[in-house]
Amino acid sequence: MSDLQTPPGDIAARVRRLVEAFVETDLIRVRVERDGERIEIGRPPMRQDHAQVAEAVALAAEPVPVRDVDVVKADLVGIFRLSRPAPVEGDLLEGDRELAYVEALGIRNPVRSRGAGRIAAILCKDGDAVDYGRPLFELDRG
Amino acid sequence: MLIANRGEIALRINRACQELGVKTVAIFSEADRESLHVRQADEAFCVGPGPVARSYLNIPNIISTALVTGCDAIHPGYGFMAENARFASICADHGIVFIGPKPEVIAAMGDKATAKRVMKEAGVATTPGTDILSSVDEARKAAGKIGYPVLIKATAGGGGKGMRVVEKPEDLERSFHGASSEAEASFKDGRVYMEKLIRDPRHIEVQVLADEFGNVVHLGERDCSVQKPSHQKLIEEAPAPALSDKARRALHEMAIKACKHVKYSNAGTLEFLADGDNVYFMEMNTRIQVEHPVTEMVYSVDLVKEQIRIASGEKLGYVQSDLALRGHAIECRINAEDASNNFAPEAGTLTKVVFPGGPGIRVDTHVFSGAQVPPYYDSMIAKIVAFGATRDAAIARMERALRETVIEGVHTTIDECLVILATPEFRAGNYNIGFLPRLLETQAADAALAAAAMTA
Repeated sequence: MSDLQTPPGDIAARVRRLVEAFVETDLIRVRVERDGERIEIGRPPMRQDHAQVAEAVALAAEPVPVRDVDVVKADLVGIFRLSRPAPVEGDLLEGDRELAYVEALGIRNPVRSRGAGRIAAILCKDGDAVDYGRPLFELDRG
Repeated sequence: MLIANRGEIALRINRACQELGVKTVAIFSEADRESLHVRQADEAFCVGPGPVARSYLNIPNIISTALVTGCDAIHPGYGFMAENARFASICADHGIVFIGPKPEVIAAMGDKATAKRVMKEAGVATTPGTDILSSVDEARKAAGKIGYPVLIKATAGGGGKGMRVVEKPEDLERSFHGASSEAEASFKDGRVYMEKLIRDPRHIEVQVLADEFGNVVHLGERDCSVQKPSHQKLIEEAPAPALSDKARRALHEMAIKACKHVKYSNAGTLEFLADGDNVYFMEMNTRIQVEHPVTEMVYSVDLVKEQIRIASGEKLGYVQSDLALRGHAIECRINAEDASNNFAPEAGTLTKVVFPGGPGIRVDTHVFSGAQVPPYYDSMIAKIVAFGATRDAAIARMERALRETVIEGVHTTIDECLVILATPEFRAGNYNIGFLPRLLETQAADAALAAAAMTA
């Protein structure tokens, strides 16, 4: 990175520079804080990477507490269906719960929350065709 | 239509579809998210992570993609699902047209011993050999009759696995067990058969097209004898430069007879070993081949479009006498490989890519400046094809095109192709499958001498 002379006000250029450096790493999330300004970039974590995400988030956590947001992704190709009763954004989950299923070749493949949290966002509509790795839910683990 | 492949062949199929007005769905692995075939298709679905077993060979996700996107056909390209009879019948079970021959034909041709037996029935010349051998004793008797050297081959084999050359009787037992146990480990099928070893043959193959109504035509032959020591092809040309007209005609007739006998449909290739003018059937590939462009150039056909037309139930609409060969075409495979290190594949970022152009040049590729070469897949990154009115004109064009090509970031086979094209053997069309391995040995010896001279 040669453009260290970027004016401090040029946020777009700094974000771009940070992204360029980030893509060459294996990191899941990077946050830079300076003069009250915060830039945070990350890859949507796979569920199995949860421990790694937690670690990365923990490292980045000082001094501002960070929300632990987990993205639940599709692990196969099919039609996305919300389970009944249909979850809505804002729902509090007390533990592991089936949120939806992906219907593929006539089989219902459940999508579970894998623990407690709050549904921050539902990223697909009932009936959408989803592919491998498609983000389905954003869960705020608090 | 769903394109169940990646790389240049996925683009090639997409191009044919666009020209036919057929909407396409690409599939891709996470490693190929930024690939050109993903961008050029009408829709694209990720079917799994980088390793092929979880993405391009992931049958449930591929079929599910076809179903949720409403595809009515799947083109498998080459490799991956192309010669998988089970996949072809799963497609049929889901009401999806598999672009290729019927599953039974794929299965029969995929089993080398069966394919050979069927071809023999059709009156096609095959190398002297046996059916499946049940014991070493049986093998010993057969070898005595055929005459050493012989080849022991696994019926499920491929890529040189489960194959042994036996030069003399005392090596037979060890080779028999070696081939069988290697095949058992690699293919879960240890059955082997025996063939006469033909030393340094030429590899000549015939392109065929057959519709579902029994009409069959051939589109001439290709010579694919420039092969790496691993038996992978590097340079192919059409027509074959050293074959008498009589042998050429006999070869074409055999190919047609074979297709009619097995009720073949769609595009296919019959591979033969040629020892002078004696040709022997080796195997049949029930798919489009990497080197199909050389045939397209000299016959002015679009083989992929023909595949799609045939699969949709159309008749060929032309007969053999409508097809005429014009000129000569050569293909060089540009692989991300280090030719000076046993063609070891390389992965990485292609920092700069410039492809050739101009009269008579065709480039089939999926790479561009900045593209990634993932470590999971075949190392071929481009095919450069040169057409000329004569063989000499095609060679001159190919040399010019290779010199125009710039690929930085990985080693490529460009320089080795230039060396081959300049040899007197290639110029004269006088080469066989032993040619490139011998050339490489000479090059290695020369390099060692040069290094010794430097330190002396």
